[in-house]
Amino acid sequence: MKKLPLAGIRVLDLTMMWAGPFTTKLLAEMGAEVLKIESPRAWDNIRTLIPQPGVEDPWNSSYYFNEYNRDKKSVTLDLAQARGRQLFLDLVPTADVVIENYRADVLDKLGLGYDVLRKQSPSIILVSMAGFGKTGADRDSVGFGPIIEQLGGLASLTGYGDGIPMKTGISYGDPVGGIGAAGAVALALIQRQRTGKGCVIDLAQREGMAAMIGEAYVAASLRGEDPVHHGNRSPRWAPQGVYRAAGIDQWLAVSCTSDAEWATLASIIGRDDLSGLDLAVRRARHDELDAAIEAWSSAQAPQAAMVRLQESGVPAGRVLDTVAVHDDPQLNHRGFWVRLPHPRTATFRQHGVVWRLAEANPHLRRHAPLFGEHTREVLSELLGLDEAELAELAAAGIIADAPINPGVG
Amino acid sequence: MDGPLHGVRVLEIGGGIPAAVATRWMAGFGADVVRTEGPAGLLTSDEETYLLAGKRRIAVNDRTLLALAGRADILVEDGPPGVLAARGLAPGDLRRANPTLVGVSITPFGQDGPYREYGHTNLVAHAMGGVHSLTGTPDRAPLVNGGSQAYTLGGLNAFSAALTAYFGALVHGEGDWLDISLQTCGASIMELYGPRVEAGGHEPHPRMGNQTNAHWGIYPVADGYGGVCCLARQIPAFFAVVGDPELQAERFATPAGRLENNDELGAMLYGWFGTKTKRELLELGPKHKVPFGAVLTPRELLGSASLSERGFFDTVATPDGTARIPGRPFLGLPWQPGALSTPGADTTGAISDWGVAS
Repeated sequence: MKKLPLAGIRVLDLTMMWAGPFTTKLLAEMGAEVLKIESPRAWDNIRTLIPQPGVEDPWNSSYYFNEYNRDKKSVTLDLAQARGRQLFLDLVPTADVVIENYRADVLDKLGLGYDVLRKQSPSIILVSMAGFGKTGADRDSVGFGPIIEQLGGLASLTGYGDGIPMKTGISYGDPVGGIGAAGAVALALIQRQRTGKGCVIDLAQREGMAAMIGEAYVAASLRGEDPVHHGNRSPRWAPQGVYRAAGIDQWLAVSCTSDAEWATLASIIGRDDLSGLDLAVRRARHDELDAAIEAWSSAQAPQAAMVRLQESGVPAGRVLDTVAVHDDPQLNHRGFWVRLPHPRTATFRQHGVVWRLAEANPHLRRHAPLFGEHTREVLSELLGLDEAELAELAAAGIIADAPINPGVG
Repeated sequence: MDGPLHGVRVLEIGGGIPAAVATRWMAGFGADVVRTEGPAGLLTSDEETYLLAGKRRIAVNDRTLLALAGRADILVEDGPPGVLAARGLAPGDLRRANPTLVGVSITPFGQDGPYREYGHTNLVAHAMGGVHSLTGTPDRAPLVNGGSQAYTLGGLNAFSAALTAYFGALVHGEGDWLDISLQTCGASIMELYGPRVEAGGHEPHPRMGNQTNAHWGIYPVADGYGGVCCLARQIPAFFAVVGDPELQAERFATPAGRLENNDELGAMLYGWFGTKTKRELLELGPKHKVPFGAVLTPRELLGSASLSERGFFDTVATPDGTARIPGRPFLGLPWQPGALSTPGADTTGAISDWGVAS
């Protein structure tokens, strides 16, 4: 069987919440062995972000945690205790990459900065992905994905056209930072492969977000332009919009990028009288055309309408809601949704591998680990600890099978 | 010092935004990115300035293109499925001829399946990725995110995936071909809202507007818009900054209580945010370790002291003046800002350097 690109790469993963774990999810999908390291006292709060009343060990059964941490191993180590830190440092020479998304100052304050890690292993790669970077005037700011959207410029570009900026419906800064950090890991590994040297990466999630709207920086720097909100319309062609379809909160996205596409759409909606309008007129009468399109679309089932428009050559898509996206014929044809058995929860369809390598064919291998599930395996196999030593560590609260302070979240 | 991709040959068969995004950072990190132009008008002038700096732009026939593909380490394209093969560049053939080649195809829906031939715009691709349904207010249509996020997110995934596969080729001696679907890029980032409907059998998750809850959202402030995102552990510090004694009441003390009294809490915060400026919020944040934000425009961010100190922006000479654009995506590896070329200007040099006869 063909090897996955990161087969043989070991990652010590100190990340929490969504951005960093999204990175290490990608690395795991590409074949890396990811050791997710949490302290029994300071663990990944995403485990209990969603209240699960009555559940005995909620830190193991969160769908939010479990979707983004599959294919990883869970190791507990209290880095606030000297013995825990030493064990972490002992793991460094066995690893290729250390990754963390603490606030900028935290790793250094733990005494685990790059200079310390490099002494353990000169070829180690450290990836830090604080919100605003390890340097710069904003380094002490704290922020989650939506804050990154605001301070990277994206929120200022998003809006209906009434002057109010809008947040995206998710913590978009997190996966953007997470995907970029996975690229940083690859680049650092490539450099190490060629030079034998490790490095430290300082990724600011805010900068990754700014890079998603680079053309707006061109407009701002060349012409002093501030963003103009177009809602769902296009500054380049018309009409374009998101139109109501039949059903509860169902919507259809439609773009007419040419005269021909508009003429086809006009005919389908029964408005041949409008089919000859040129772009300038379509722009000027956009509100009227929107009303004409919606008069038709609001009586159409969204899926059938999309298929009909696409088969007629008009770019159209159903606005897939969180239920419809799981039932979408295309995603299901591609086998995108995967059910992974999990010992504490019913199976649910979670997203599969996006980086589809046609030959190596990566696929999900194992459910997210239970809290501390692999602590003993990792510490005994990699560091040679015996049962007595493991018992001592457990007694000291350096390792644990459950959070020591489960109420904190 | 040479970038980590010094000497790596990247062929970008243009190409709209996804392919151009995927290779942009490769150029900055030292790769020799050679780009053929796609159909006219796929990129705006501003997008060209941002995405094509540092790339060599060539105009060649398909026979020369095939020869270049034989010399490439990484090939990136975002045309419709089957078009590459129709031009004599079938991925399977290219892989057989060049065993270490990493190929990347980026399409709206993937190389197979019922939608593979479907037409697209950024809006259509965004709609089909799931995140669109979550953005905007419940009383209006779902709202597309600013810029061209479906395309750009696909390009970002392709960048990181291609380099991961290239590392694999360096170590294991074999390339591969990536089939990146924009739709799956979107459907993989639905945060908790994706699994929530599956795990709980709920209705589709509604649009939440600018406040997911009262302490997680955007508010009008004295000179624009700002916001806050607090987890439970940051609530005490946040409430202390706001200072209203009413916030210490029992009904706001627990996550469940805050949720139950979300409207009242939101109204109080509305009032408080209205008295603050963006600058004040950004100073209060690090001082009290509260995740405050401010909605800043690219023009404002071009003046950010922190971004300047970190050397984030590159400059690019354009016919209309000097543009400042987001540069290296992270610090720690050698990065080289690039100049903007014109279509076809680099044909002779590139094919000669790649050892291909014209």
